[in-house]
Amino acid sequence: MTTQLLPDTDMRPAWPTRGRGEFRSFLAFARGRPGFLLGLVIVAITIFLAFFGPMVAPYPPERAIPGAGLLPPSAEHAMGTDVSGMDVFSRVISAPRIDLTIALSATVIAFVGGVFLGVVSGFYAGSRGIGRVASEAIMRGADIVQAFPVFIFALALVGFRGPGTENVIAALAFLNIPYFLRVTRGAVFQVRERPFVEAARCAGNTERGVAFAHVMPNALGPALANISPGIGFAILLSAALSFVGAGVPKPTPEWGSMISIGAPNMMTGQWWTALFPGLALGVTVLGYALVGDGIQDFMDPTKRR
Amino acid sequence: MRFLRYAARRLLFLIPQLLAISVIVFFLVRLLPGDPAYLMAGQFATKERIEEVRATMGLDKPLHEQYALYLRNVLRGDFGMSWRTSQPVITDIKQRLPATIELVLLTGLISLVLGVPIGAYTAVKRGGVVDRALFVYSMLAGSIPDFWLGLILIFVFFSLLGWLPGPIGQLDPIIEPPPRITGMIALDALISGRWDAFRSAFEHLVLPVATLILVYMTLIIKNTRSAVDETLKSDFVDHARALGLSRLTLLRYALRNALPPVVTVVGIVFWFLLGGAVLVEKVFAWGGLGQYAVESVVSSDYAPLQAFVLLAAVFTLVVFLLVDLAYFVIDPRIKT
Repeated sequence: MTTQLLPDTDMRPAWPTRGRGEFRSFLAFARGRPGFLLGLVIVAITIFLAFFGPMVAPYPPERAIPGAGLLPPSAEHAMGTDVSGMDVFSRVISAPRIDLTIALSATVIAFVGGVFLGVVSGFYAGSRGIGRVASEAIMRGADIVQAFPVFIFALALVGFRGPGTENVIAALAFLNIPYFLRVTRGAVFQVRERPFVEAARCAGNTERGVAFAHVMPNALGPALANISPGIGFAILLSAALSFVGAGVPKPTPEWGSMISIGAPNMMTGQWWTALFPGLALGVTVLGYALVGDGIQDFMDPTKRR
Repeated sequence: MRFLRYAARRLLFLIPQLLAISVIVFFLVRLLPGDPAYLMAGQFATKERIEEVRATMGLDKPLHEQYALYLRNVLRGDFGMSWRTSQPVITDIKQRLPATIELVLLTGLISLVLGVPIGAYTAVKRGGVVDRALFVYSMLAGSIPDFWLGLILIFVFFSLLGWLPGPIGQLDPIIEPPPRITGMIALDALISGRWDAFRSAFEHLVLPVATLILVYMTLIIKNTRSAVDETLKSDFVDHARALGLSRLTLLRYALRNALPPVVTVVGIVFWFLLGGAVLVEKVFAWGGLGQYAVESVVSSDYAPLQAFVLLAAVFTLVVFLLVDLAYFVIDPRIKT
């Protein structure tokens, strides 16, 4: 009990950030999990395509080839062409640039906002004065935002603001904040009871200092683990918005808007126009979900082996 | 008596929640990039119409008066005019609401009736073939866009096989619609004994409902599985097993105790279903509220969009309220 003041284990952050040992154990962990590895490969491919997709595409993704509309898949057009003669394969591999940009920016903004609000609401919950008011207000606000079905709220926000990439990002970021907020708040509840927090107080830190310099770094784990599935979810939502015409405007290569271009062709039998962008979308979302699951398991020591 | 007191308290909670929602929906208009009166009146509005909109919204008054005005109008059922259909929004909504309710309720019911037994079965036979197949399926279902799945089903069952009608709404155009009773065409046809209309309406329902079930039933399966699994591991089941009760009786006990979390997830499923219905309605040209909302977004018709968002949130709150009440009934441990 005498060493209880600063026990070694309690000083460790929840998120493994240090040392080669951690990295090696991460590799060993990943090797035994085919699902996680598959997810990592998918994520790596989408990131590669986000940078180089339009460059490695065999045709310019927004150029309609006259007289080459609705060609079935062939050696020249691996995934066929759409109704205006744009090469589906080139568009499918160019789309991650816009889809990932939207999803990543929205998720990062939501992460920052959600973690901040989560720390405030978790750290000051049950305290007295202005902190408690803020904590309660934040939670009630999150409740209200989440009373709206997420896609419908996104549709309304973009609908009123007008379509366009920035507005889609803003809407998705706003709607994802409550998820990061809630997981961070839960983690803060656990961290703030740990002895090192008491120690930080005794060392003369202000409450705000304790909250953001000591509690927050140790409560980041769940929010970090939520980033990957959050990106997947954001990709799905933004594709759905573009599908109904409230997202990225038409000729831009984006999976949701490609599916919407191909939708009428599905009734007349030209399956390739909508099938391939949808597959790419589904596989990508799956990949980010698998990575998220893997990271969550990795951070849970009981599931590591 | 205890139930009534609990219900009354929960209903009382509903009021501030509804007010908060109305505030958010009211402020949506502030997001408009420009003069709200000009934009809400629509593209072909006359000067007089714009001034009329300005007056009904009270745009020349301070913000709190505008909100009071908005609230009063909403409570009277006045959601403004749709410039696209040139009808009051409330008329449009009444026309289209039953179609959406039909889609959402049918999906919810079937998912529940199928999902709970499947979930319970996989909890009992953990690690079996069905369990593993369902694990893969639920992983996929969470990643597949519902609108895309709908299109694939259309391609296979309409374009390729010709078994089911294409995405042209709720009824074959050559069939005379049944008299409007509930507004849900399949149900109306059934009530009025119009078998030809019922058959057609049923055929048109299959694909959209199947799309939604395939995507959203996994939530119910997954949650039933984990809830039953947990109760099967609990002490009272061990005790019952030690007493030598049959496996069927054990499962019945476990199911009874797994019910509360399952009821909760039903609420969440409906929350998701509303959003899914918007997309699926668009794919199948369903003609319900979801499609109405999408068309309003695309043509910048703001009054219907505002009304739709409000309705969706109110619907959600009511569903969660019902879930809470059901929870209270089935779980005697909850105190008021």
